[in-house]
Formats: sequence, C-alpha cells, structure tokens
Amino acid sequence: MDTLLLLALNGLIWGLIIALIALGLSVIFGLLDIINIAHGDFFMVGTVIAWFTLEATGNFWLGFIAAPLIGFILGALIQRVVIQPVRGVAALSIVATFGLSLILQESVRIIFGPTPRRILAPITSTVPLFGIEYDVYRLFAALLSIAALVGFFLFLQYTKIGTWMRAVRHDRDTAIAMGIPAQRIYILTFGIGFALAAFGGAVAAPIATVDFRGGVDILPFCFMAVIIGGLGNLPGTAAAAVMLAFFEGIIQSVADPTVARIASLALMSAVMLIRPQGLFKGHVR
Amino acid sequence: MSAPILETRSLTKRFGGLTAVDNLSLSLEGGKLHAIIGPNGAGKTTLFNLVSGLLRPDSGKVIFRGRDITGLPAHEISRLGIKRTLQVKSVFSSLSVAENLWITYAGSKRFLHPFRNAESDRAARDRVAQTLEQIGLTALAHRAAGVLSYGDVALLEIGMALISEPQLLLLDEPTCGMSPAETERAVTKIREMARTIDIVIIEHDMAVVFGIADAITVLAQGAILAVGNVNEISQNERVREAYLGRPEDEDYVEEAAHA
Amino acid sequence: MSSRASIERVLFVLFAIFMMSVPWSVPALVSSFWVSVITEILIWSLFAASVNLLFGYVGLLSFGQALYFGFGMYGVSIGIDQLHLGFWPVFALGIVAAMTMALVSGVFAVRLTWHYFAIITVVFSLIFYFLAVRLKPLTGGDDGINFSMPPTFTFDHSVWSFTDPTFQYFFILLTVSLCFYLMHRVIHSPLGKAFVAIRDNDVRASLIGLNVYLIRLVAFVMAGFLAGVAGALFAFFGRYASAAYMFYQVSGEGVVWAIVGGAGTLFGPIIGTTLFIIIREVVSTHWEHHALIVGVMAILVVILAPRGLVGLWSDRLDRLDKDAAELPSTQPERVPP
Repeated sequence: MDTLLLLALNGLIWGLIIALIALGLSVIFGLLDIINIAHGDFFMVGTVIAWFTLEATGNFWLGFIAAPLIGFILGALIQRVVIQPVRGVAALSIVATFGLSLILQESVRIIFGPTPRRILAPITSTVPLFGIEYDVYRLFAALLSIAALVGFFLFLQYTKIGTWMRAVRHDRDTAIAMGIPAQRIYILTFGIGFALAAFGGAVAAPIATVDFRGGVDILPFCFMAVIIGGLGNLPGTAAAAVMLAFFEGIIQSVADPTVARIASLALMSAVMLIRPQGLFKGHVR
Repeated sequence: MSAPILETRSLTKRFGGLTAVDNLSLSLEGGKLHAIIGPNGAGKTTLFNLVSGLLRPDSGKVIFRGRDITGLPAHEISRLGIKRTLQVKSVFSSLSVAENLWITYAGSKRFLHPFRNAESDRAARDRVAQTLEQIGLTALAHRAAGVLSYGDVALLEIGMALISEPQLLLLDEPTCGMSPAETERAVTKIREMARTIDIVIIEHDMAVVFGIADAITVLAQGAILAVGNVNEISQNERVREAYLGRPEDEDYVEEAAHA
Repeated sequence: MSSRASIERVLFVLFAIFMMSVPWSVPALVSSFWVSVITEILIWSLFAASVNLLFGYVGLLSFGQALYFGFGMYGVSIGIDQLHLGFWPVFALGIVAAMTMALVSGVFAVRLTWHYFAIITVVFSLIFYFLAVRLKPLTGGDDGINFSMPPTFTFDHSVWSFTDPTFQYFFILLTVSLCFYLMHRVIHSPLGKAFVAIRDNDVRASLIGLNVYLIRLVAFVMAGFLAGVAGALFAFFGRYASAAYMFYQVSGEGVVWAIVGGAGTLFGPIIGTTLFIIIREVVSTHWEHHALIVGVMAILVVILAPRGLVGLWSDRLDRLDKDAAELPSTQPERVPP
C-alpha cells in the first residue's frame, strides 16, 4: 500500500514536470508544424545545465534561472540556423531535428562525460504525508511546476507575444496578413519550447539522473501527452501528461515499468486511431 | 425528355454550425450541358465533393443513372464513370504530361501490375498519343507536369478528363484564372466534349455560362434558387438579387446574356 | 541516349564489377575487415531502401521500419535458437513475420495523415521494442542472443554456410541485388506510377479511380518485406539479434540515410548508407564521437542539398544534356486543333 501511494505521488509530480516539457513540444508542433525529435534532449540539456551551475557556483537554485535562459538562447539560435531553412518541407525538418538530437547528445557526452551522475537535492528532508515519509524536494518541484504552468498560461493569455503566438497557431495566414511578425514568433516559439524543456530538466535533475541519454525516454512520453491531450489543446496536453504519469506510476506498483510504458503506448495508438483530436475537449487546432 | 443522369434527394452537408448544402434535391437531365452557378459560399463545390465521393453527406442521397452512389468512396465513384476536375488546377507534378494521361487511363482499372514495365501497354500508349494530339500538348509529352504553365496545366486537365472516357464530367471552374484567349479555347473544347459526354460545370464567368449552358441551376446558401435555361435565368429577379443586388450590375448580366 | 544516361550506365557497370570482386580486391587494397563493412553496408542499404520506397515514392514517412527489421531478425534468431530450424525455413519465417506485421500495422497506420502516420509508426515500433525487452528469455532483450549458423546449402560432400565469409558476402550481395532489382521493376511499373501519383496529389488520385488506401497498404507491406529481408540477413550475418535494433533511433538512422542519399531514387539509399557507415568506421577508430558528425552531416545536407546526394548528382548531370533549355509553351502561338 505504501509503495502504491509512493509511486502514485511520484507519478503525479513527474507528470507535472513532464507537462511543462510537453507544452514546449506542443507549441513547437502547433506553431511550426515540426515533429521535434530533439525535444527530449532539450530536457536533458536542462539537467546538464543545472549540474554545471551547481558545480560552478555551488548554488542549486541558480540552475532554475540558468537552464531556461540558456535554453531559450539555444532554441532561438537553432531555429534561426537549422530549422528556418527547412521549415517548409516537413520531412527535411524531421531529419534536421534528428541530426540535432545526435549533436546534442554527443556534445553533452563530450563535455559532461558518458557516465550518469546524480545531483543532490538542495532539500533532503522528508515530511510525513498520508502516512509515509515523502521527499520535500519533490513537493517543492510539484509546486514549482504548477507555478510555471500557470505562469505560461498567463503569458499566453495576457501578453502581447502570447496573444501573437495563439493567433499564429490558430490561423497562420490571417495572422501574417494582419501584420504579426511570423518569423520572430517562430524564433520565440522554438526558444520558449527549449526553455520550458530545459526548465523541466533543471527541476527534475535531483529526481532523475543527469545523463547524456536522459532525453531518449522523455521524448515518446511527451508525444503521448501531446497526442492524447489533443494537438493544439494546451491544457489538455498538460492534463494528459499528469494523467499518463500517474497511470504509469500506479501500474508500476503491480508490474514493471516496461509494462506500464507498453500500456501507455497502446492507449496512445488507440487515441490516434479512434479519436485523433485527443481525449479532452477544448480548443483544437 | 431524357432520363436524369444525376439526381440528388434532400442532400444535406453541415460543417460545424454552417450548412453548406441544405436539403438539396436536384435533377439533371442527360444530353444537356448543365451549369451550376451561384454566389460564393452557395455550396457548389461542396455539391461536387459530395457527388464525387470526397465528402459524405449528413443525410440524403446521390443517384447516378438511377443507381444510388451515396457514401461510396471516391475511387469507386470514379470507376463508375463520374470524373471531375478540381477548382485549383492540379495534376501530378512529378509525372510527365504523358504519364499523367497514362495514369488517368490506367487508374480506373482494378489491377495495377507491379512488375511489368508501364511503357509496354500498346493500347494505352496509343490512347495517350491520341489525347496528346487532341489537346495539342504532344511537344510537351515528356515534360514534368509540375513545370507547365498554368494554361498548359488546364489543357492537361482537360486531356485527363477526355482520356478517362467519362460518363459524367464535373468541371469545377474550368476557366478560372485564364486569359480571354485561353478561355475561348477552353470553351471550344468543352463544347466539343459536350456533344458526346454529359457535362456539369461550375462557373463564375457569366459570359461562359450563358454561352454554352443548355440548363442552368442557381444555388444560394446551399439550396436551389432557380432552374432554367439561359433566358429564364438571365431574366430572373431573384437571381439578380442574389448575385448582384445593385442596379448597375444588371447591365453586366444583360450584356453577358446577349453576348 | 542522353549523356547523363550513358555516364550512369558506365558507372553502374564499374560498380557491379567492383562489387563482385570485393572478397579479393578489398583485402588486397585495404584489409579483409572492410569486406565485413561492405557486407554490413549492403544489409543496411536494404533497410534504408525500405524507408525510401515509402517516403521517396509514396510520400509516407515511416519512422518505424526498425519494427519490421526486428521481426525479420527475430524470425531468424528465434527460429534457429529456439525452434532449431534450418536456414531456409527461418529465412522464410523472418520475411513472412515482417510482412505480416507490416500488413497488420499498415491497415491502421495508412489511414492516418502524414504527421500522425509518422508518429504512429514510431509508437508501434516502441511497443514491440518494449515487448522484446520484456520477453527476455525469448529475445535476449537488449543484450541479445547469439546463435550458431546452420548451413545454407548442403550437397553431397560440400556444405555452404555463412561461416565462409566469401559465401556469406556473395549470398548477401545476391539477395540485396535481387531486392533492388525488384524495386526497380516496381518503380517503373503501373503500380509504381500510381505510387508517385498518390504522393503528388492523393485527392486527384482517388478522383481518377485509384484506391489510395489499398495502394498505400501494398507499398507498406512491400517496405516491410524489404526491412524484413534486411533484418534476416543481419541476423545471419552477425549470428546475433537484439531488441536494441528495434529502437526508434535505428529507424531514424534509416530515414537519414535515405534522405541524405536522395529520396525517390533507386541508388539514394545505397549512397546514403555507404557514406554514413564509412564515416562511422573511419572516424570511430580515431574518435569515439562519430555520432556528432552524423548529426552535423544530416543537418548540412537537408539545408544545402535537400534532394540528397543523388539529387545533387542529377542536377549536375542534367546540365550536360542539351534539352535542359527553355520550355516551349503551346500558348499563345499554337492553337490546338
């Protein structure tokens, strides 16, 4: 029973973190029409930045600023240099992001090394929760993720840039015709996508391992959240991420992680075939 | 009075809140060249999409030569003899002009041989050569269709319509985007084809419509506004209102009707 | 014949002669290790060809061909290791398994529009990857299973088996060549033209009577066949099978090889695969991070030469031909009769 509770809580919190990353994937997919194979590696880069920030400054919290900041800059640069030239042809952009994924993984392997490492959480205490001792850091991570999610939705809803992004996602041609600088929005979007994933990485770093292959597993999960939540349905994607992670967490208490993953993938296939607009109602593209 | 070649019965198609085709029942006689006209959004292309199988109706039937074809997939309807062109001229850009004609000819066959050389079918090659002559594109036979000029693409489309030996030909705005000279040529071709094939065209160019149509159906907001021949339609008050709405434009219709 | 076609014909003959001499010429020129590399290149070009058939000709981007490769591979390895069958039965088993899987998954996948199609092909391959990892006793999971090779042919006194590297090379060369020849026939057949028509404009294709769904499904099964043969040959070659070869990164590499080589061309997959495997072999002896070069090359090619290397080659050669001149148009001078 304790295990179930533990895994369920872990799943829930992991889901919140993934929701951030998946949102990044969703805006990139929604605005640029790109299947970003490197997105899991954006997360991985975030964990690495957190590790280096800790090493360099001794301050873990700085990582929460460094990761999204560096992530945003990298994302914007990548969009301008790599994505923009091939944005029009979908297959080419997939190959480009695949190449990007290899580059990111290998570069990290060169700089960081091939062995996975752990970061110690800044808060190592536990707190009694529903009868078990639960990591305070994880609770903190959950709060931080929720804050970031809320902040992102507020950004989209109430800022000029956020509104432009929503306009371009909703109807690209009209938005351009109305004078919205699409090119700049694309750069911003990719930058924001990277930043979200990197931030997720920084938050997750003490929970997961810091490893150049850390993004490989995250990628399919993010896609699952985006598809099941519904393309273009951002709240749906966030909800799906949380649900899926929670669901996998629970299954893990009775079977091993592989089975949980197979179950999620099967669910994803079913959604794609039967209800491609996603399980949740909401604004769909 | 010949039997109707195409009928629809209470045909309805909705897109979300918009009813594109509203309880439409029409009957088109064989042996005549029909034109379907109407203001933008009247449901003309949607009607073609429903007849050719690209869309499924929400309710109602489509009857072709007495046979209910409602809900059949597009390729089945094509094999039954209904062929159509699209509003935006579209051919197969990577294939050559000759291959475009060839694949149209072969497309209606049930079996596509996976190993035999496509060039080896004599009968098909002759048909293609013949059609190329008819549309005047023999010199461009081996050009990729994607590099053709707009006018040539239109000719190729007509060629594809011809080679497929249609029983009913649906032309969606065939003269759209054409220069006056090209339009003339297209109109001549269409008149020629109409001698042996039943044709229904959607057109915005009134001069073309009044010039070649035997029977006109006017649609507005997904329903029939009027049916009749050139004279009846050009005199029809409601048609003028729906289309135009301003007295000055009536002269345009007058002129076009008597062109 | 145009000068381009003559050049290509000559090159092809030279290439064929070289390929047939490999077991002797290559050890003389470099080392016998490279015979092994070339054999691997042959196998993986077939894999890249399966991606190319779907993408280059039908316009379907599959990111999950590793699944059918895996079925071919496991058909052979499980057939030998667990079922103790002979060479030809397991070869057939692998191919049939791959094609069946392609049929079953294709029935669902081919219905989807291309973004979702790409994604679902990955999802299917991931599901089976995880299943393979899970069913470790059967498949050896990620570590894989090794097995010994049954003979291919047994005559009165001679046994022909893959343990003889020369026989192995020629068998694989022959099989791969046969598959490429079949592809060549299909591409120039009525079915092949239908593929291209569907790729260019699937709505128009259905309007001229082509059953788009069925034709795509046929293409998908054909691609599954090619990937399955590649997987079976791989198992025979390495006497080894592992779930790792069903992972999406393997599929992704196939896509990169096919596109860099030149999608929609017969030799594109061979060129792309050759390039990347040679880079891998050459670089990895000096530097272990050859994946970085793969990534950079992939990006450079899609930006600078989007039609791939064979595309670049075609463009260069086309300039030699006289009739790459102004297009005559029939408007307005000529009036059609």
